[in-house]
Amino acid sequence: MAALNGWWDDYFWGAFVIFQVFFCSLGFMIIFGLLGAIAKLSGNKVAHRVANAYTVAFRGTPEILVILLMYFGAAIFLTSVAQIFNPEAKFIDIPPFWAGTIAISLIVGSYATETFRGAFLGVNPGSIEAAKALGMSDVQTFIYIRIPEMWRIALPPFGNHMLSLIKDTALISIIGLNETMFVAKQAITVTGKPFTMYIVVGAIYLGFSTVVTLSVMGLEKFGERTTVGAK
Amino acid sequence: MIVDYTLIAESLPVMLKGIGITFQLLFISGFLGLILAIFLLLMRLSGKWYLSFPAQVYIYIFRGTPILVQIFIIYYGLPQFGFIRSSIFWPILREPMGCAIVALSLNTGAYVSEILRGGVLAVGKGLIEAGSALGMSAYQKFVYITAPIATRIALPAYSNDVISLLKSTALASTITIADMTGIARTIVANTYAPYEIFISLAIVYLIFTFILQKSFGYLEQYLGRYTKREE
Repeated sequence: MAALNGWWDDYFWGAFVIFQVFFCSLGFMIIFGLLGAIAKLSGNKVAHRVANAYTVAFRGTPEILVILLMYFGAAIFLTSVAQIFNPEAKFIDIPPFWAGTIAISLIVGSYATETFRGAFLGVNPGSIEAAKALGMSDVQTFIYIRIPEMWRIALPPFGNHMLSLIKDTALISIIGLNETMFVAKQAITVTGKPFTMYIVVGAIYLGFSTVVTLSVMGLEKFGERTTVGAK
Repeated sequence: MIVDYTLIAESLPVMLKGIGITFQLLFISGFLGLILAIFLLLMRLSGKWYLSFPAQVYIYIFRGTPILVQIFIIYYGLPQFGFIRSSIFWPILREPMGCAIVALSLNTGAYVSEILRGGVLAVGKGLIEAGSALGMSAYQKFVYITAPIATRIALPAYSNDVISLLKSTALASTITIADMTGIARTIVANTYAPYEIFISLAIVYLIFTFILQKSFGYLEQYLGRYTKREE
């Protein structure tokens, strides 16, 4: 453990980067998932096809490929766009943070699409009829009836998606994000203790997973508070 | 953006040379992981705390940490200890391939054991009671009643796990293994054409995912052939 002296603050900031990536990608993941689910349920053929292609493509390819493609691909794309406006432009790349965040939220969003779709289908049709009978508009029904009912159904699988997000942040270190994996690599070159350093990384991730799992359990209880008596 | 088709045509056969390694990783660690999963499952079902508690801790740790961290701990971390370098496992742990197989098996074992447990818990109580009424021993009940039905129930979830194992094999490229992803990364480093290479490789992975999904679908139909109701 003595080898770890002096590295704790680096690990702390690395963990903070994980937290930031998790937070940003969680937001994007929900957006991608909702867009995908709405496209699949909209009844519009084109939207349905696009959403299907999205889920098939992102569920079937390795995460690391998506991350590498997002990082290097975006760099080439941005450079060629910049060269249209300014032929002098050299190499432009996007920060690994955003490349990685978008990549993992696209991947996990494709899983969330199916979860949200299933949850929207699980909303009691009677509730929606009741809303119509009360003269609620489609938007009102969506916000006040569908969303509050569907998130309870979606929560358990959604918790798993959050765990995948947390674990996928480790992959972003491959394109150079300085999160805990990166800190460990640096620490190893100095101390020569790879096992100790990577175990700390593992412990940090385990801590994050535990917090996520516990919060999902808490949220599930919160979601059930009004239905417990009804059972 | 101009797509370089000749580059794709040239590099696709080179990437496909890594297919053997990808399949070795998939099948060997899939098989070892399944055996480990059955052991963990039996430990958890044994009802003895000194067996079920370690299994639970194992599953918690391996499901709570990223597979990349596990691969790095095993490949870079374990050689830190002299006793591992002098143990009989060293010939396996010295090779990146051995480490990748060990890491992937340990990881998938934890996930599959939870899937199998879900299957076992879903077996109808009445069937097991019927077994008891017929005077079957606990061993007979498990082998002839629980196991076949649990296999059928767990199969869809298991097929998803095999697919995620296929995707995880791509991570072996991070420890210098020349699987399909590893070769693709080398080609991209030389040609700097991420779009062409990574997207064509993604399509190759998609084809394998599709084949796996279809074959598990047929297996499911075959195992469920008695459950279809005659109309």
